Amino acid sequence: MDLDYLQMLMGEEEIVVEEEGEGYRNIWVVAERAGDELVPVTLEMLNQARQLASTLGAYVMAVLLGGGEALAQELIYYGADKVFLCDDPALEEYALEPYAKALGDLFTEKMPEIVLFGATDMGGELAPRLARRLGTIVLTNCTGLTLDAAQRTLVCTMPAYGGEYSEVVAFSPEVHPQMVTVRPGAFGRPYRDEYRSAEIEAVAVDLDGVQSRVKVLNVVAQVEREPVPLDRARIIVSAGRGMGDAEGFALVEKLAAALGGEVAGSRGAVDEGWIDEEKQVGMGGATVRPDLYIACGISGAIQHYFGIQDAKFVVAINRDEKAPILKVADVGIVADAKEVIPAILEALGA
Amino acid sequence: MRIIVPIRQILDPRGFTVSPRHERIFINREEYIINPNDKNALEVALSLKDAGDAEVIVIAGGQARLDDALREAMAMGADAAYLLTDEVLAKTDAAGVAEALARGIEKIGDFDLIVVGQETLDTADALLGPWLAEYFGVAQVGGVRQASVSDGVLRVRRDWGAGYAEVEVALPALLTVAPGANKPRYPHGGRIMAAYREWQVNIWGSEDLGLSAADLILLTQRRGRTFPPERTLGERLTGSPQDVAAELVQQLRLRGLVG
Repeated sequence: MDLDYLQMLMGEEEIVVEEEGEGYRNIWVVAERAGDELVPVTLEMLNQARQLASTLGAYVMAVLLGGGEALAQELIYYGADKVFLCDDPALEEYALEPYAKALGDLFTEKMPEIVLFGATDMGGELAPRLARRLGTIVLTNCTGLTLDAAQRTLVCTMPAYGGEYSEVVAFSPEVHPQMVTVRPGAFGRPYRDEYRSAEIEAVAVDLDGVQSRVKVLNVVAQVEREPVPLDRARIIVSAGRGMGDAEGFALVEKLAAALGGEVAGSRGAVDEGWIDEEKQVGMGGATVRPDLYIACGISGAIQHYFGIQDAKFVVAINRDEKAPILKVADVGIVADAKEVIPAILEALGA
Repeated sequence: MRIIVPIRQILDPRGFTVSPRHERIFINREEYIINPNDKNALEVALSLKDAGDAEVIVIAGGQARLDDALREAMAMGADAAYLLTDEVLAKTDAAGVAEALARGIEKIGDFDLIVVGQETLDTADALLGPWLAEYFGVAQVGGVRQASVSDGVLRVRRDWGAGYAEVEVALPALLTVAPGANKPRYPHGGRIMAAYREWQVNIWGSEDLGLSAADLILLTQRRGRTFPPERTLGERLTGSPQDVAAELVQQLRLRGLVG
């Protein structure tokens, strides 16, 4: 059996988008890239858009500014039914005004029913500008998107006060396009299907007289993040004696860095000399109330629990299934933290 | 130089508790505070005023209770305040408020700079800044930490990926300030009395802004609230390190704890 026959068997024909139709239609995803890579939220939006599209009986359109054919092809592999590619040199680097002009013109012509942007620096400033330009509204930082089938509108979940609860808001039926920004990480990533095949349409953009009015003088790519005091940290990864040695402790530091959190330790970790006393959590140390506390190799004696009882979400990784910390954790993993942490780092893409 | 700072109000989170079990918010004390990020914006504006010749005007649109927020902003150092409110404006949504604020700013007259908090603490609503920039067709810089002006050119330090960038922009312009960009000043003792007893908050209604109820129809419908799952302690994940890691990361993503 040769490969051509196999491909035929898999029935992968090019997706043909029927462009006829009246009024506002289809779900559009504004792709975002960092150089020549798509940022994760773009893939997550495609995933969610596919699900909405099957309910609505609509196509998933992606629009890519700069980046070239190869990236457009990636968007198809990840779920786009068609890609509009504006490959103008002026769009290679992100700049607000040219991007807003290109998207504004395209949306005015194509009349999307729904438009998804990433809730990123780029999407965050583009989406409200386009909403105003197109006479609509944008709901920002959404973590949930479902459909009200009866009135054919998006129903959006927007976390309030950092996720204490969420407000659920729907668009009014007469509002088009329905625009949202989607929080990175809210949706899973789709399967990459290299057998998907669809059209890439080159779009000419008219950028006459449009240029960025902001001049970048200099960029400092990486700043040494100032440590946040433990009692105000949002994420804390904490080590106990169970990490074994300095090498094990280094894994905890790596995990904290990958999560953008702070490193701390139990009394045991301080006694081992892996971490300063001022980073000790529990009785005799800091009392913390982070959104996320990950205890690695900490047995969780009452003295330690005392310091973390106000943590909103506790994850414990411990080899000993009788460790007290596993009873007070929201999620417990009975395993060697030295094996699990590298796997977590991998799952985070760090 | 004239600097405009829009002010929004949120329910004070210290006055309520959220009960996932009852799927309810229990309000112990219904008080409204200035959206903290808007105070960061006001601080950027006031620091520009400290450094040179500038007039800082605060403006708010929506419910009548915003009067209190505007007086606090004046006590912090703003020179004048405008409140856009009436029955129609009190009922509109974020887009309606943004439209009213735009009209109000236009009515105040020429401005050099608008400084806006990037988002609200309650629902992380980030519509206002870019919306106003679009209305006025002015340049816009987001993620702002610091700003200074010389010779009509604004110099700004803004967030840029994991680092920052120094950018320059000609006036007029609009800045959206990053949450927690600075430590806002406390209201000045002497100004507090004056702000509440002597100084005026100018009030305009929808008609003054050329807006009717038809212009401000609601573009969204509130559908209620959802609550995070109630805490159940002691859940165990089992499987290979790869399996438990994937499951854990998924759970953290669902809770918005990792990006």
